[in-house]
Amino acid sequence: MSTETKTYKEEYAGYWKVLAGLLLLTALTFIQPHYFLENATFAVQMLIGTVKAWLILMYYMHLKGEKEIIMFTYFSLFIVLTFFVIVIGVDVANIQFADLNHITSGDAAAAASETHGAAHAEPAHH
Amino acid sequence: MSHEYVPEIAVDREGKEHAVQGWQDDLYGAKLGFWLFMFTEVLMFGAMFMALTYYYTLHHDDFLIASSSLNRVLGGTNTVILLFSALTMGLGLLKMKHGDVKGAKLMIWATIILATAFLVIKGFEWTAEYQHGIFLGLDALQAGNEHSKPFGQILFFGMYFTMTGIHGFHILLGIGIMFWLLMRINSGKVSPEHYILHFNIALYWDLVHLIWVFVFPYYYMIGAGLTGGAH
Repeated sequence: MSTETKTYKEEYAGYWKVLAGLLLLTALTFIQPHYFLENATFAVQMLIGTVKAWLILMYYMHLKGEKEIIMFTYFSLFIVLTFFVIVIGVDVANIQFADLNHITSGDAAAAASETHGAAHAEPAHH
Repeated sequence: MSHEYVPEIAVDREGKEHAVQGWQDDLYGAKLGFWLFMFTEVLMFGAMFMALTYYYTLHHDDFLIASSSLNRVLGGTNTVILLFSALTMGLGLLKMKHGDVKGAKLMIWATIILATAFLVIKGFEWTAEYQHGIFLGLDALQAGNEHSKPFGQILFFGMYFTMTGIHGFHILLGIGIMFWLLMRINSGKVSPEHYILHFNIALYWDLVHLIWVFVFPYYYMIGAGLTGGAH
């Protein structure tokens, strides 16, 4: 009985600790675009999201110790990412609008950076 | 108890009786089956995130401008609401496993209230966007008229309404199955000895939360640096 109570208390405390971690990471999500790595916002935001997802999966979704499901997840992820990289890679290599794309066209890239500058000067609000 | 397992008996051609295998307490099987279902959900949202990433590379600046116009205060509030709802759902399951049925039901009710608050806030947000002329079907999000937004922004908002809409539908479904769970608990079909359904519904709710963990930064935060502060 005492062991069970201890386990309950430990699990209960664990839920609150994970919540604290998630709240901290959420706060970081808000702070980051204004205070650090401003030029890599997308990558940093996705990284923070991945850490949050890992906490949720391992502790809230009880995957910690579930080796088979974790391996299945990694395998699925590998298949999907491989497919994504190959399909997108072929598509980008044969893109119809290469001259309009800011990645593949130097002119479009310059125009895009001008637009970006304008966005800083006059942000869209609603 | 009303749900106590009574083995079914099958009789073979020789008249011999055999107990049919029961799966009522197969926690591992139920969990694995539910994970397979959740993988289909991940595939669906994963495909949408991939499309979003592809369009983001093509219309980088339009995406940032469109993102900067979203209301991060409401989006952030919903993020925190979902965080706490995941906690209450998890604590509910913990209480159920340890015999505190009343506490478990209270936690499920708390989750339902938080989920409803999420939908109400999302409703306010969509209403404000509609009033600003940004909604599926309105001129701003249709190509080829004087009010049209740039093509990249049309794509962004199209995917924003689609993904947050589908996510909201999942929240609504979650509220429905939580009410169903409460009914099953009240009828004694879900109990501290038989909590598989509760476990899987908690998993579902965590998945809904998990999807929002990526929806929120993808839509609300990537353009946050453009405006110099949340509004």
